[in-house]
Amino acid sequence: MRLRRVASVGVWGIIVSRVASVVVALGIGGVAFALCGYDVGRLAGDVVSASFGNLFGIEDLGLLWSPLMLTGLAAAVALRIGLWNIGGEGQFYAGAIAATLVGLHVQAPLWVALGLMAVAGFAGGALWIAVPAVARAFWAVDEIITTLLLNFVAALLVGYLCTGPMRDPHQAVTAASAHIPYEIPPLLDDLHWGFAVSVALVGVVALLLGRSVWGYEVRVAGSNGRAAFYAGMPVRVRLMQVFLLSGGLAGVAGMLEVAGTVHRLQGGISNNFGYLGIMVAALAGASPLGVLPASLLLAVLLNAGIVLQSYGVSSYAVLALTGLVLFCAAVGERLAYLRMRPAA
Amino acid sequence: MIELLTGILATAVLAGGVLVLGAMGEVLAERSGVFNLGVEGLMALGAVSGIVAVAHGAPAWLGLGVAAFVAAVFGAVFAAATVILGANQTLCGLALTVAGSGLAAAAGRPYAGQPARAMFEAVSVPWLSAVPVLGRAVFTQNPVVYVVWIAAPLALHWLLFRTRWGISLRAVGEDPAAADAAGVRVVAVRMAAVVGGAALAGAGGGFLTLAYVPSWSDGIVGGRGWIVIALVIFGGFRPVNVALGAFGFGVITALGFVGQARDWAVPPAFLSMLPYLATVACMIGLRRRGAPQALGNPYNKEER
Repeated sequence: MRLRRVASVGVWGIIVSRVASVVVALGIGGVAFALCGYDVGRLAGDVVSASFGNLFGIEDLGLLWSPLMLTGLAAAVALRIGLWNIGGEGQFYAGAIAATLVGLHVQAPLWVALGLMAVAGFAGGALWIAVPAVARAFWAVDEIITTLLLNFVAALLVGYLCTGPMRDPHQAVTAASAHIPYEIPPLLDDLHWGFAVSVALVGVVALLLGRSVWGYEVRVAGSNGRAAFYAGMPVRVRLMQVFLLSGGLAGVAGMLEVAGTVHRLQGGISNNFGYLGIMVAALAGASPLGVLPASLLLAVLLNAGIVLQSYGVSSYAVLALTGLVLFCAAVGERLAYLRMRPAA
Repeated sequence: MIELLTGILATAVLAGGVLVLGAMGEVLAERSGVFNLGVEGLMALGAVSGIVAVAHGAPAWLGLGVAAFVAAVFGAVFAAATVILGANQTLCGLALTVAGSGLAAAAGRPYAGQPARAMFEAVSVPWLSAVPVLGRAVFTQNPVVYVVWIAAPLALHWLLFRTRWGISLRAVGEDPAAADAAGVRVVAVRMAAVVGGAALAGAGGGFLTLAYVPSWSDGIVGGRGWIVIALVIFGGFRPVNVALGAFGFGVITALGFVGQARDWAVPPAFLSMLPYLATVACMIGLRRRGAPQALGNPYNKEER
């Protein structure tokens, strides 16, 4: 017997490798916590009961799940055409800024105002990725670095706006904008309609990518750009469209966060959702439907971070854990192709 | 005017210096064909390890060594996954950045905001420090500055372009199959390049907390790891050009500080955006040449 590589692995092979990677990563994390002197069994029990034990926990989980769904979807769409959008964090901020500006300055019935805010959020996110998109499509400029660096610019811009031109005139909260008068109505007590919108967007994008000519062209361009070009597909146009859609989705996540959860623009509002979205997409294997379970997993991890803080564990420990999950998934994906075969 | 110029140069030497070691490390790794996106995480780990080491009584030079060592250990894990197993370099690099930044922030909690217990002290070079402008800007810095700006780029240039090992390393980055056929041990060369590169990135982080800022705080690396990766690309993967690029970034960063200190009419947030925006502009504006042919591709004998 010896170890051989097989040419392809089915969907189940990938799923098994993903689940195994997550288990291994959490196992390593558990050992690390145990070595630091924590009672891992009790920690895990508390995390599970805080997330799933009662309705409030589940609703709070939903509030983390929906933005992760959208930022994950944003990164996944880009991956479908073979591009990395690492700028979800910045596009989230840009969407939040645009939506807040509309929410503070437009007078309209609630649903109209929310609709306008959503459009503004999408446009803000799309605008934030426009330069990297053009640079990639026309001059082949590496999109990983350009999208990522704009995250820092967006964070600085939000900080400037919240302490400067958009500062709350009543100073109810420091370093934040005024309260936005339009709030997304609740679906359950705490959980707002943004959750339903996020799930619907996942469905729409899944259909668009999987069942339309547009989606077909995107997938062909993603797996073999040259083949797509010689088949007469408008690769550059698709590339631009995919990137703008990706940025727009992250922007909508930012809009839902300000309109549904935070009700103001403030620094740190993106809560790493943009970065975690990249992991969601990677864990989901860039499949839009796979984004649903992958974002749930990261929502549980984020929720775990909140529980762990009550034990005095830094919330950054959870960030490290998510990195470990991603690392194990990358290694697991490779190992999934190895099989024991009789020596030839 | 002289005062202003001196201030900008002196800050540029330090601010740009933080980028140089990491950039040299990335040149080393990428020349061997491995794209390491984990620089940001490695720098964070180095920055925090340096601070923890000196907080426990180590002198600054030992702190810098600890910073390099810790980052090298994490680099070895990254290298094992990407070089030996052939896992996706982009994913593993992102994972390293996230895990490294998270771990560094968690470990650095107790030390956040405190001044470093030991740091590299400034030394004035006799005679040279009396030269106008340059004397105060360059020759009254801490001694590590000369290692960073002069010794590291020249040594790496010599290693890559003037030694047998450098030829092997570049061959592995251009065409690993051909290098393999010529008897070069591809996996060993790449492992060495990645681990060495990680150590340099860690030392860059250590320079940040032991020579530049002298303290640790959350998010202190602030995207420098990504600017480093960009520098390597538009520096054409050549050590000396990359170091010159780092100096340019030092000047841009310094302009931001000087602007804040002198109350320029531009809001400080916009001045702080300068290095990031300049990087994006350079990525788009400068022609990129000389990327190793096999950059990003894992090598496996059986899959040729």
